[in-house]
Amino acid sequence: MQQFTRFFTDEQRVRIHEASLEILENVGLLVRNKKAREIFAKHGCEVDNQTTLVKIPRKIVEECRKSFVPTYTFTAQDPQYDVTLPGDRPVVVTGSSAPNIIDPITGEERRATSADIANIAYLINELPGFDVFSISTLAEDAPKGQFSLSRFYPALKNCKKPVRSNTPSIADLEQVLELGYLIAGSKEAYMERPFINHHYCPVVSPLTMDVESTEAVIYLTEMGLPVYGTIVPNAGMTSPMTMMGTLVLGNAEFLALATLIQLIRPGAPMIYAVLSTVADMRTGNYAPGAVETGILQMAHTEMARFYNVPSGGYIGLTNSHVNDAQSGYETGINTTAALCAGADLFNMGGLLGSLMAFDFAKAVIDNEIALMLKRIKRGMEFSEENMALDLIKQVGPGGSYMDLEHTMANMRTTAVLPKVANRDPRGRWEDMGRPDAHARALKEAKKILTKENPARFPAELDEKIRAHFPGIVAGDARWYE
Amino acid sequence: MSIKDIYQAVIDFNNAKVVELVKHELANGTDVSTILNDGLIAAMDEVGRLFSEGELFVPEMLRSAQAMKAGLDELKPLLAQSAAKSAGTIVIGTVKGDLHDIGKNLVAMMMEGAGFDVIDLGVDVDTEKFVKTAKEKNANVICMSALLTTTMPGMEEVIKAVKAQGLDIKTMVGGAPVTQEFANKIGADGYAEDAPGAVEKARELASA
Repeated sequence: MQQFTRFFTDEQRVRIHEASLEILENVGLLVRNKKAREIFAKHGCEVDNQTTLVKIPRKIVEECRKSFVPTYTFTAQDPQYDVTLPGDRPVVVTGSSAPNIIDPITGEERRATSADIANIAYLINELPGFDVFSISTLAEDAPKGQFSLSRFYPALKNCKKPVRSNTPSIADLEQVLELGYLIAGSKEAYMERPFINHHYCPVVSPLTMDVESTEAVIYLTEMGLPVYGTIVPNAGMTSPMTMMGTLVLGNAEFLALATLIQLIRPGAPMIYAVLSTVADMRTGNYAPGAVETGILQMAHTEMARFYNVPSGGYIGLTNSHVNDAQSGYETGINTTAALCAGADLFNMGGLLGSLMAFDFAKAVIDNEIALMLKRIKRGMEFSEENMALDLIKQVGPGGSYMDLEHTMANMRTTAVLPKVANRDPRGRWEDMGRPDAHARALKEAKKILTKENPARFPAELDEKIRAHFPGIVAGDARWYE
Repeated sequence: MSIKDIYQAVIDFNNAKVVELVKHELANGTDVSTILNDGLIAAMDEVGRLFSEGELFVPEMLRSAQAMKAGLDELKPLLAQSAAKSAGTIVIGTVKGDLHDIGKNLVAMMMEGAGFDVIDLGVDVDTEKFVKTAKEKNANVICMSALLTTTMPGMEEVIKAVKAQGLDIKTMVGGAPVTQEFANKIGADGYAEDAPGAVEKARELASA
């Protein structure tokens, strides 16, 4: 049994839960989506259609809690890549929906395209630290009416791991699902293994549910397809300027969304996902890289365990615009803290500038951080065999372990063998032209992306898709230059 | 008591005192434009400077802007008859589909602080409402904000509508995913990276 870092006593966790219930029952939340209001009303919530205010009595929340389930599965096109929370924790996911990319040739930030998404998808497919590809960027070259298709098609074509993202409208969502049916062979086959994983942020803090994202969550939940939401309070701006106030508000918002989902389909899997932050009040700037993001993730994770649902969120983001010390320590410290508290899901990879730009080198560095997190999770692996007492007796004082069978048997698995972290002596490093972590990581990305991608669609399927969606983007991975 | 006290009360974000002092100056027959420019607006310029230097935090700036506005409300009935005029009229809101209004609120506050008449349409504003309001209120600038990358296309629709109707109204865009390049592409007249920049840009556009 693994031990997790905790901030709260059992009594304190109950108090946080009670405080959240009090918010939902007495303060309520604005629910802009009509369908959601109808669902809340039908099950006995107090609904004012004029103001859109919904108050959720505690007994309804408590009733819904009974149908919370402890696992959540991300399904992949290739079943070998399916991952389930919390068993496969830490499940590492790319950060998503940035408008920009750092061009790997010029180093300049520019709008991202569908061709970039194809390359990123291929890279994530090949980097072992990543478990889920949440489509990292938008596609500026998307033809009219194919905003989301131009993201999901290159992603699914080049990555066999679970693909995750959102859509801005039901029309886009239906188009993306249609793509899923085509790839699966039929709607029935797709419903067996729904390999498009949906995510939305339907709650706008404080205590407001929006129209479109809420609509998508309802739609998918009714269909029995996988969907979860992230709760995003920002202390000092959209939540109180204390960690506890932000936790309680965010917890109430999670419960509101969870209640809606469970009212629609009891037993629908969920993730208690957050991106709770503290704003930099000197400027009002958004600060997802701040250490408080990690601390809040730890606290939310503790509440998720109280509810017995998988936890996680956007954790390990950075505000830095380059791969420098800041981007490393912000990602490193926050993810480590979250892992030690028991978070299951880490939306952390590849983005710079607080979710604004994808960077290939950052993705490769984050892959390495992901491998380290997974190594921490493995921990010490206590066993009599691993203590190697016989070996210690056999080698004795002053001996060497270097040429032993035991060493050879374990040397490829005991330690993370990094490709970016440099361990050369200074002279050798200088001979290589003093490459920093960014340069080494970019080289690694190029090495992967200049090879042919084995993960593409078969030609016949691709023809079928292209015929079904006239004008669809090419969606092929090809290194720049 | 003097204009200097009004200036200080704005910086101290003491709404009640600003109102009291403004009333007092008006009763003394002080010129409305002097109260506005040397008292209220000058104070907000100083607040902006202190904010840029990191001495004042965002909430302090907001509270000063609110105090300034309280004073401005006292002057408003008289402004129409005086030589003093508003810096311009701004119509502002977040675009269709976007409920994220923190940045927009900050910009609206700072613009009020800079002496603009600000008509805040709130969140999730559609093209028609932006254009209709701007026409009715004879606005100089329409300011649009988006946080979600997926709602940004709404900005282009508004700009297209303004141009299609041949209106003499400038357009400005902002929000985390918005860039100068994007603003150029969709034909916006202005873009700013942050709230103080937005005020400067609005001044430029309104006086053009």
